[in-house]
Amino acid sequence: MAKRRNPVRLVVALSVAAALAVFLLYTSFAGGATASLRPSQLAEHRGDEVSLAGRVVGPVTGDARGDGLRFTLRDIDGTATVPVVYTGSVPDLFKTGRHVYMKGELQSGTFVAEEDSLVTKCPSKYAPKES
Amino acid sequence: MPELGRAALVAALGLILYAALVGGYAALRGRRRLLDSAINALLAACAATGVASLVLLAALAGRDFSFEYVAEGTSRELPTGYTLAAFWSGQAGSLLLWLLVLTAAGSAAVALNRRLVREVLPWTVPIVAAVATFFALLLVFVASPFATQAAPADGAGMNPSLQNPYMMIHPPMLYLGYVGLTIPFAFAMAALASRQTDERWIVATRRWTLAAWTFLGFGILLGAKWAYEEVGWGGWYAWDPVENAALMPWLVATAFLHSVFVQEKKNMLRVWNVVLVAGAFGLALFGTFLTRSGVINSIHSFTQSSIGPWFLGFIAVVAGASIALILVRLPLLRARTRLESLVSREAAFLYNNLFLVAFALTILWGVVYPLVSEALRGVAVTVGAPYYEFFAVVFGLPLVLLMGIGPLVAWRRASLRSLGLSLLWPAGVALAVGLVLLALGAGSSPVGLVGYTFAAFVLAAIVLEFVRGTRARHGLGGVGWVGALTGLIARNRRRYGGYVVHAAIVLLLVGAVGIGGFSTTREAKLAPGETMQVGDYRLVYEGSDQRRGANALELRARLAVFRDGESLGALSAGKNRYLAEGETSNEVGIRTDWLRAEDLFVIADQFNADGTVFLEVLVNPLVNLIWLAGLVFVGGSLIAMWPDAREQRRLAQRFADGGALARA
Repeated sequence: MAKRRNPVRLVVALSVAAALAVFLLYTSFAGGATASLRPSQLAEHRGDEVSLAGRVVGPVTGDARGDGLRFTLRDIDGTATVPVVYTGSVPDLFKTGRHVYMKGELQSGTFVAEEDSLVTKCPSKYAPKES
Repeated sequence: MPELGRAALVAALGLILYAALVGGYAALRGRRRLLDSAINALLAACAATGVASLVLLAALAGRDFSFEYVAEGTSRELPTGYTLAAFWSGQAGSLLLWLLVLTAAGSAAVALNRRLVREVLPWTVPIVAAVATFFALLLVFVASPFATQAAPADGAGMNPSLQNPYMMIHPPMLYLGYVGLTIPFAFAMAALASRQTDERWIVATRRWTLAAWTFLGFGILLGAKWAYEEVGWGGWYAWDPVENAALMPWLVATAFLHSVFVQEKKNMLRVWNVVLVAGAFGLALFGTFLTRSGVINSIHSFTQSSIGPWFLGFIAVVAGASIALILVRLPLLRARTRLESLVSREAAFLYNNLFLVAFALTILWGVVYPLVSEALRGVAVTVGAPYYEFFAVVFGLPLVLLMGIGPLVAWRRASLRSLGLSLLWPAGVALAVGLVLLALGAGSSPVGLVGYTFAAFVLAAIVLEFVRGTRARHGLGGVGWVGALTGLIARNRRRYGGYVVHAAIVLLLVGAVGIGGFSTTREAKLAPGETMQVGDYRLVYEGSDQRRGANALELRARLAVFRDGESLGALSAGKNRYLAEGETSNEVGIRTDWLRAEDLFVIADQFNADGTVFLEVLVNPLVNLIWLAGLVFVGGSLIAMWPDAREQRRLAQRFADGGALARA
């Protein structure tokens, strides 16, 4: 009784095709995603725009609203480190020991972060008060 | 006390297991008395979970730091409101809230539909219980809120960014939404398992779905309001994985709410509907998993926890079981009616569904792509806001357009000519609005201009519907205009409630485009006495001061605000230094102009030793329409949900007659 040709199927098929086309179009011109790396992996991506994640190691010096905030980022479970210079807004939770990530690129040994790209992960637990 | 909590949870687990196993046996063999026993076990499990929740609440209220959970999330100085809200700020408490809401909603849904469940959909009980079993198991064996320790002198305190009124109600709203989606899921799967695939499961759960969807949507907006005020970067939605986690099930549930109309009216899309309801539930679980597992780099991933693998396993089981059940019952779900024309109401619903689901899937892809890439290629990646914004525009604008067109298309088959005629007015209004805005300089954001034109189109179409309906009722005589309008809404609650929700989405669009496309930002380093100009506003930095708040040192920059030479009063922005937690939190200064729905948004980013302050100031036009949209959204949903005796009688009649649609 039911005919094989069903307009619903036609619509679904066409729209799936259209969605795929749009998707390919987007990924071809915008590239979609940026690589997310640890400091130890940075050397292979010299000059690429990447997202860098790690743990903040002091000392934290400089002015994020001036010539740049300077600190070192270390692998979260490792020892590789990279110096970082960052300008822009500093998140509330930023401090030594925190896990952070930011976008930027490696320029002559220093990771130069994009303005305002610093994000601090919320610590999962609070250490007891130091006193 | 902790023993009581633990015992209550073990009792709840036992009762839920009983409900699942005995309920399953009863459903399989058609034993009604055993099924009653399983239902009672579910009710008792709800009570036991309630006892456990009360124990935790009492421990929080008494700041009993011998409970690890209390010590980790609160401190002596934390205000009482936040101390109680710490119930759901941690992992174990969140799971307990899930279980409490699930057993309560499950019991209520089963009790309110007792006859239907007993006679037609017995599988509902074991399915609800099976979902609850998972959470009870986690609470008893993996993440207990009742772990104890030698009480420390003070607790570790609450994450400062959670110390915001919106954060007190945002998580429970989301959980009510997530958990609420379990109910239609359980009824749908029960309908499949019991071979009763007519639309009774939809009718029985319509209000549950609507309520869950409303909670979820409102919860998302509360979270956005929190982000706007507390995270304070000047935006309101950042396409963060945890935000997306709630948006995905909401989008799929939105698709479901629309496509059920087609099933009820035309008995079509039956497979599609069970797929949608299972998808929405699966995404709700996935959302809880994302929020609670810390698997993705996100500012909101508050926990890095042990429950991740458990959740993934459970999601896999739910997905596998749902897909298997749907495939097995596919022959029962075959539609006997077909789409007659691509220009019809049902076709419009279909397009709406495809766009919504496509949008949800692209978001899902963006969320999981980093994980997939890391697993397959060894390269972790991040997917940024531009990806999501692109698809929000590509899928969102056609959806908005459909919101205007859909309600004006006739069921079955509409002629393009009559459709064109009925769209004449809205299209004219949209064109006029577009031209006026272009003349006013809105062309600076082409996407924004298109968005506003579409918004005008939809609003005009909605107003037209209300005017036509009211005029028709008034024309029958005997009622005034106001009476005709209220009568119209009262007699067609779903339809006109739906229109009000559509209007809310338009408001949201106007606000989102306002802040996204037309906001102004200026940054400046000011010494006391210096001024800066942002848009129409002039700000004078008067100096900063520090005072001791309830549980924080409050550093504030004092600003005087002027517009067109006229003083608008003082505004302060700064930072709070939380003492117990040892954290700093930005406290932005917001001055709302209600007439223009515009915000002056001041971030005091950096206080320098020389007395200067670095300010980032934004003028966000129309942003308050986003929050207004939240209220209108809830209002519209309430209209659509409001109990309707006439509807009940109509449905009772339909099923009593064994009407054409009743049996598949």
